[in-house]
Amino acid sequence: MGQRISITLSTSDSSWVDGLRRNDPAAMRGLYKAHFPAVRQYVLQNSGTVSDAQDVFQEAVIILWMNAKQGRLSTGTENGPGGFLFRVAKNKWLDVVRSAAHKHMKVVHNDQVLEHRSDAPDDIEERITRLRGVYEKLDDKCRTILDQYYYERKDLATIAAGMGVEEDSIRTIKYRCMMKLRAFRTAISGEESEAS
Amino acid sequence: MIHGTLDRPTFEAIEAYVLERMTPEERTAFEQRLAGDASLRAEVELERENIEAVELGGLSRMLMGIAQEERDEERMAVNWPRVLKYAAMVAAIVTGAIWWMVRTPLNERLYAEHFTPDPGLPVTMGITDDPAFADAMVAYKLGDLAEARTKWEPLLASAPTNDTLRYYIASAWLGEKNTAKAVPLLSTVANEPGSAFRDRARWYLFLAHVRDGDINAARALEMDSDPVHADRARIILEQLRD
Repeated sequence: MGQRISITLSTSDSSWVDGLRRNDPAAMRGLYKAHFPAVRQYVLQNSGTVSDAQDVFQEAVIILWMNAKQGRLSTGTENGPGGFLFRVAKNKWLDVVRSAAHKHMKVVHNDQVLEHRSDAPDDIEERITRLRGVYEKLDDKCRTILDQYYYERKDLATIAAGMGVEEDSIRTIKYRCMMKLRAFRTAISGEESEAS
Repeated sequence: MIHGTLDRPTFEAIEAYVLERMTPEERTAFEQRLAGDASLRAEVELERENIEAVELGGLSRMLMGIAQEERDEERMAVNWPRVLKYAAMVAAIVTGAIWWMVRTPLNERLYAEHFTPDPGLPVTMGITDDPAFADAMVAYKLGDLAEARTKWEPLLASAPTNDTLRYYIASAWLGEKNTAKAVPLLSTVANEPGSAFRDRARWYLFLAHVRDGDINAARALEMDSDPVHADRARIILEQLRD
């Protein structure tokens, strides 16, 4: 694992950090309402669409969330999550603009193009890519249950009641689904060991 | 290096540790185990990542949902007054209800009113000695009826006298609204006096005949003797007679 980079953000009002760590829908909506408009304005001013702005903003929130999960958010400055989200989203959009398909686009706000500072260290980006690959391996049945348990943090009884099945069945299905993921990961690591 | 299987108690202990659901005492004891067990440490890291993968999937889904809500709000604010949209929805529901009442034959309405799918058997660790059956039951309970059926059918081919398989394959067919396939299977179970599924098979067979409009066949089942469904069967037959 590479060197861990700590990101300094103001956590004097730590509710949004706790909200991120707990996957709280209200915290996610709060971030969206408060900080998306600036990103949208920037992307629209630079040849993008609202949909483009949403894509890069979502990537930025995911990177912020991953940093919160990894314990990389530390206290210290007056900067809130807005500055971080804007920088990451802006850099993501600049990457798109620089890509071959968008050579014709004109960037009017490029004051920080040359200082494309990485707020998303490579290991975070790699981890996100790897985790997305893992999630892809789950079938819809497993996603339905695991999402509710691990992401929405519902208890087994609530999930069981919502799906009209017994609590013990949900517990067993959850275990089976996680063992499928484990078997997939074990197979991958075995192949990598043989290759090296 | 991770290898072999991971038993459920260990999986759940790791899960409780990763999700920070252990008491301080449990946590201390678990960390002492971790300190001296490299393979357990590897399992913890793997499970932590797998849980994070699920959370990332959930987060992506939620963010897409929020983005969609934003787009919908903008669209409604510009193009379509909210009141008119709700009025259109109510009108559509009322129209649909009227259409349902007028166009749907009585026997099909009665079937829809009384049919409740069999909830399936609990999928507990106690039946994992038959994982193929359990996997199909998981699919059934989650509403993937065709998948459940296609997993059960080979099992029935190798054990044609198994009343559980016949009953649940028929239940899957019924859920798929295919009474032609369900009726023969239900009939065999309904005619087995010793089957634990006999009474339920008779009730679903009765409902299938009602749906098919075969009232004589439904009446021939003589549901008056049914310990659970006699009253409902009588009401259905009376309504059909009226």
